[in-house]
Amino acid sequence: MRAWLSLASFLGGIVMLTSACATSEEWSEWKSHNTHFASGDHGFFSLRNNRDGSNPRVSRSDVDAARQENWWGKAITVSPEQIFQN
Amino acid sequence: MPRYHPRLLGGLLLTAALVVSGGVSFAAAPEDALMPLEKYTTPKGKSLASVHRTRLLQFSEQIYNCLPWLSVHPGGLGFPRARDSQDDDRYLSTWIFVDQRDDPVFAALPQERRVSAMFSRYGVDMLRRMAGLPDVVDDDDVAGLSVVLSWLKPGTTRPGRKAVNETFALFVDKTTLREFLAKRVSPEEFTNRAKFTLFDGLDPVGRVPIEVWEDSFNSTYKASNYDPPKGARCP
Repeated sequence: MRAWLSLASFLGGIVMLTSACATSEEWSEWKSHNTHFASGDHGFFSLRNNRDGSNPRVSRSDVDAARQENWWGKAITVSPEQIFQN
Repeated sequence: MPRYHPRLLGGLLLTAALVVSGGVSFAAAPEDALMPLEKYTTPKGKSLASVHRTRLLQFSEQIYNCLPWLSVHPGGLGFPRARDSQDDDRYLSTWIFVDQRDDPVFAALPQERRVSAMFSRYGVDMLRRMAGLPDVVDDDDVAGLSVVLSWLKPGTTRPGRKAVNETFALFVDKTTLREFLAKRVSPEEFTNRAKFTLFDGLDPVGRVPIEVWEDSFNSTYKASNYDPPKGARCP
């Protein structure tokens, strides 16, 4: 019985160490992306980027228009009442 | 003057309003970002909102014009109380949506690390910006500062799924924040003293273990192809 417990602890330790290492790598990669957005591109950033690689100017109204067309505002979000009292 | 049936007139007005507004949106124009005065339920709240309205509007315009990757929740800038507060403690608060897309690296992070990343990158900078409004923060009726961050939960924009936002809300007293920003309080102590909670969509997750580190992105990034509105000053 004691041998089984030791083996289980050993295997559990290996699993934890392995997952911790993987997470650490991902973590350090993310943290090193100081010049990037938190999760890749922002919606506005790729606005009007042409296929030829040119990068036309983007205005604030372009940003607003793009957000009307994608997920922005449509995602399920907690209501203010769950966080605040007025 | 032609006479319209009340329902028809109502429909026309609604249609006109939607056309003008562009439909329902989470992104708020600078003035819409301010919590409406009539929503405050106590004299202290109303007074704060009234006295500091101009300053908050300037703050809102700064975010709108200069940080286009962020947006303030409509009515998300003001002086609310924490939901579980028994007192009338008012917090200078900003609710920010972070505009971003799915990314495999970010998606691979456990939820509490996504929270840590978002708070370190955007939350701390927003708190610093709010702390930079001394005429507001030094008001004796302001108990502390609060920042709420919402971002798209990775993987929820796939076809057939409903997009979900993760939302992190933090409240901290003024002294702790000042000491933290001045590096006299460690990030660990800061998180120990702050009250915060996470929501997964509509579901409360509660307090999660977070790590806070320095991240200068939000204070230094300049979008090379973005033109702020005319007259906007973006330092």
